[in-house]
Amino acid sequence: MRKDTVKLISAEGFEFVIDKRAAMVSQTIRNMLTSPGIFAETQLGEVRFPEISTTILEKICQYFYWSLQYASGKETEFHIEPELTLELMMAANYLHT
Amino acid sequence: MRALRSRVIPSSSAETPIKKSEQSTEIDTAAPASDGVEVVGTPSQSSVPAPDSGAPRSASVMPQPRRSLRLASAASRRGGGASAEGLPLPLKSCPWKGVGSGEGASPCEGEKVEAFTLGRRGGMSDRQNIGKRKLEDDASLIDSKGSKSLRSRKSVTKRAAHSDAENLVNAFDIEENQWIMLSKITDLDGGDTENREKGSCNDEVGSFRSRKILRREDKGKDKIGDNEVIGLGAESSGSKPGGIGDQPKYGAEEIGKAKIVCDNMLSDCSSVIDLDMEINNLRQKSESIGQEFLNVAVAQRKSHRVKAVGESSSSDIIRRNFRNIARRSASRFAHFNPDDEGGNNSQVKAERNASAAPRPADPEPEDWPGPFSTAMKIIRDRGTNVSTLQSNSFFNKWKSPIIWAPRRDRHTQAKRLIPSLLELCLNVLAANANAITSLDGVPDMPRHKLSQLLCDSRKMNKHFFDLLVGGSPTEIRVKDSSWLTEEELSESFKRCDTRNIMVLQLDQCGRCLPDYAISSISCSASCFPALSTISITGACRLTDDGLATLISSAPSLRSINISQCSLLTASSIVTLANKVGSLLRELYIDDCQSIDAMLILPALKRLENLQVLSVAGISSVSDDFVVEFVAQLGHNLRELVLSDCTNLTDASIKTIAEVCPGLLALNLVNLTKLTDSAVGYLANGCQALEKLILCRNTFSDEGIAAFLEASGELLQELSLNNVKKVSTDTAISLAKKSRKLQSLDLSWCRNMTDEAFGLIVDSCSCLKELKVFGCTQITDTFLNGHSNAEVKIVGLKMAPLLEHCRVLIPDNPLKY
Repeated sequence: MRKDTVKLISAEGFEFVIDKRAAMVSQTIRNMLTSPGIFAETQLGEVRFPEISTTILEKICQYFYWSLQYASGKETEFHIEPELTLELMMAANYLHT
Repeated sequence: MRALRSRVIPSSSAETPIKKSEQSTEIDTAAPASDGVEVVGTPSQSSVPAPDSGAPRSASVMPQPRRSLRLASAASRRGGGASAEGLPLPLKSCPWKGVGSGEGASPCEGEKVEAFTLGRRGGMSDRQNIGKRKLEDDASLIDSKGSKSLRSRKSVTKRAAHSDAENLVNAFDIEENQWIMLSKITDLDGGDTENREKGSCNDEVGSFRSRKILRREDKGKDKIGDNEVIGLGAESSGSKPGGIGDQPKYGAEEIGKAKIVCDNMLSDCSSVIDLDMEINNLRQKSESIGQEFLNVAVAQRKSHRVKAVGESSSSDIIRRNFRNIARRSASRFAHFNPDDEGGNNSQVKAERNASAAPRPADPEPEDWPGPFSTAMKIIRDRGTNVSTLQSNSFFNKWKSPIIWAPRRDRHTQAKRLIPSLLELCLNVLAANANAITSLDGVPDMPRHKLSQLLCDSRKMNKHFFDLLVGGSPTEIRVKDSSWLTEEELSESFKRCDTRNIMVLQLDQCGRCLPDYAISSISCSASCFPALSTISITGACRLTDDGLATLISSAPSLRSINISQCSLLTASSIVTLANKVGSLLRELYIDDCQSIDAMLILPALKRLENLQVLSVAGISSVSDDFVVEFVAQLGHNLRELVLSDCTNLTDASIKTIAEVCPGLLALNLVNLTKLTDSAVGYLANGCQALEKLILCRNTFSDEGIAAFLEASGELLQELSLNNVKKVSTDTAISLAKKSRKLQSLDLSWCRNMTDEAFGLIVDSCSCLKELKVFGCTQITDTFLNGHSNAEVKIVGLKMAPLLEHCRVLIPDNPLKY
C-alpha cells in the first residue's frame, strides 16, 4: 500500500494519504513526485503545503477522486461550498489542477 | 516515330500506352484535322504545352464558329485522348503528355506531314480517348474511336483512358461552352482509321486532315469542322515568356483538364487563358510540366496570352512553336524515366527554365525563384505524381488523394473533458460574485479570468469593480466597461492606489471616459508611474486633449490601444511620439476613422522601437503608407495587422517581406487585391511567421500550400477562413510542415474533404483548436475517426456556440 500512495500535509499538520494516481491529477504534485533528482518529496512520498488549510486540502483530495471517477465515465457534479471557493480557487491555481 | 512513341509510352504507368497513342494522336490529329477538331490537349496530360504553340495558330485562322477545344489534360494524363491536341497541338501537347509531345514536336519542324502520318497511326487510340472526352463532339467520333480502339494498338488501354478523358471533359464541359473536345483531334489522328470509320476517306482523309491541320496552322485556311483544335488552349494557358515558356505553363496548368481550344485564336486566346487560369485553380494536381512557372503564370498569363495572340498570326510562329515543342520534348525523351514522373517533369521544367528567364529548379533562395517557387514545383510534382499513379477517372483526381483512415477506437475522447478545479471554482465565484468580500491575495490570472467571466455574462458591476481596483492592484482588466458610468469610475479610482498598476484595460469605455473624466482617473501628472500597457478601446468621447492628459500621466507607457476612438486625430499620434516616442512598443489604432494614415506617417516614423502596429479598418492606409512605414521601422516589427485596408496590393506585401525578416504575426483579412505573388513574397521573406490570419483572400490552393512548404514550420496560428480555394494540397503541406500549429481556422473551405481534415488533425499533434464554420462537407468519418485527443473542433452544428470567442488572457503586459 505504501508504494502507490502519497501523503499530503496541510498547514495545520493534518496528513492526507491518497493514491498516487489521484495525486497525479495535479500537475504541480505530479512534477514534484516525478522530477528527476533527490527531493524530499520523491524520497518520502509526502508533500507539505504550508499555505493550504486543512479544509481546503480535504476538498482538493475529494476533487482528485472525483476527477478519476469522471474520467472513468461516471459523470457527477462536484459541489463546492461558496465559502470555500475563493481559497479553493487559489489553491487550485497553485496546484495546477 | 513509332520508336519515339514507344519511348514515350513507358513514362506513364498505365498511361504509357495511352500516351503513346496520345502522342500519336496528336500527330495524327495534326494531320487529319479534318473535322476541325482541334485536339488540343490530352486531358490528362499537361497538354497545354504542346497545344500552346500550335493551337493558336490554327485557331486564329479558322473563321468557323469558335469552338474551343478542350485539352483534356486529364486524358492526356491517362494517356488517353490527349491526342486531340490537334494538328498543331500534337506537337505542343507532347510536352505535357510527358512524352508524346516531344515526339510530335520534333517532326513538326519540318516534317509536318510525317508527323501527321505518325499521328494517324498512333493517334488512333488517342483519338478514341479523345473522342470520349469531347463534349460536343458527335457521338460518331466516339464510336469511331471505339472502333478505332480495335484497330489501334492500345485499344484497351485507350478505352480506359477514354472514359477518363470523357470524365475529364465532362467535368469541364460546364466550364466552357466554347471548349471543344480534343476528341475531335483524335478523330483527326485516327484520320486514317477513324475517319474511315466515320466514313470519311481513309488515308486520304488523313492526309486531308493533315493538310487541313497544316492549313489551320497557317491560320485558318481551313476550318475543319466546328471544332478546331487550337493549340491555343495550351498556348493561352501556359503563355510563358517566349513561345517555349508558354508551353510549360500550359502544361502544368492544363493538367487534368481538358483544354479548350478556341477556334478563333485571337479572341479565344484570352478567354481560354482565363479559363485556364480558373481551371488551374480548380485543378489540384496536375502533371507539372511547367510547374515552376506557375507562380508567374498567374501574373503573367495575360502577357503571355498577348504574346500568343501576336504570334499566332503567322506560320512562322507555328513552326517556331513546333520547334520549341520539339526542343522541349527532346529533352524529355532523352531522359525519360518511366518511374519518375516528377523527375520527368522537372527535367522538362529544367529545360523550360533554361528557355525562360528564372531557374526555379534551384532550391537556393534566389530573387525570384526562391523557396516559394521551389515549393510550388514540389506541389505540382506531387500532384503530377499522384495523378499519374491514379489511373482512375478524372473525378478521382479531384477527390482527395490523401490517404487517411479514421481510427476505430475512440477511447481517448473523455479524458480532456474533465473540468479542472480552477474552472469549477471560477464558475461558482462568478455565480456568487456579489458575495465576495475581497480579492486580496488572489493572483492576477484568476482575477482576470473572473473578470472575463463576469463581463461575458453581463454580471459585472461596481461591486466587483471595486474589488478589482481596491487595494494596490498590479493589473486591472475589464474587457467590457459599458456598464460603468463616469461617477462610478471616479469613485472607484479614488480608492485606488495606482502606484503599482502596470496594466489597465477598460475596453468599451465610451460611456465613462469623456475628456473631463480623465482627470478622475489620473489625479495628477505621472500618477501611473508603472503603467506600461493601457487599453481604452471604444472611448468615443475622448478627444486629443484628453488623451494627451492621459499620456502625460503615464510616462513609461509602452503599449497603447486606442481602437475605435473615433474622435482622435493625427495629433494624438504626434503627442504619443512626443511623449513616449522611443518607449512605445505597441500601437493599436483600429477603426480610428479620423486618423489619416499619411498624416501620421512622420510621427509613426519616430516610434523607433515599435513592434506591433495595428491599423485595421483605416481606409486611408495605402501601399505608399505601408512601404514608407515599413522601410523605416520594418526591422523591429513583430506584428502587423492590416485587415480591412482594402487598398493594399501585392506591392506592400513585397516590401514587407523584404524589410521585415522578424515578422511574427501578420493579419491580411479582407485584402482581396492580393494575389498568389503576395504569398510568394511572404514565403520567401518572412520565414519566421508564427501567426498568419487570412480571410476572404483570393489565394490559390497551390499558393498557400507552397507557402506552408517554404515557411510554414513555425506557424502556430493559421487562419484560412473563407480562402475558398484551399484544398488537398494545402492539407498535405499542413500535415507535413506545420507541426507546431495550435490553432487552425478552415471555416468555409468547402474543398477540404474529410480525409484532408483527418490528415491535418492527426499530423498536427499540437493542434488545440480547429474552426470549421460553414464546412458542411464534414461528416462523422472525420469527427469520430480522428485520433487527436486534444483538439477542439468548433463550428459545427450541435456544438457549443461562442466557444471560439473566448479570448486568451495575455500573460504579460507586452506581447513580445
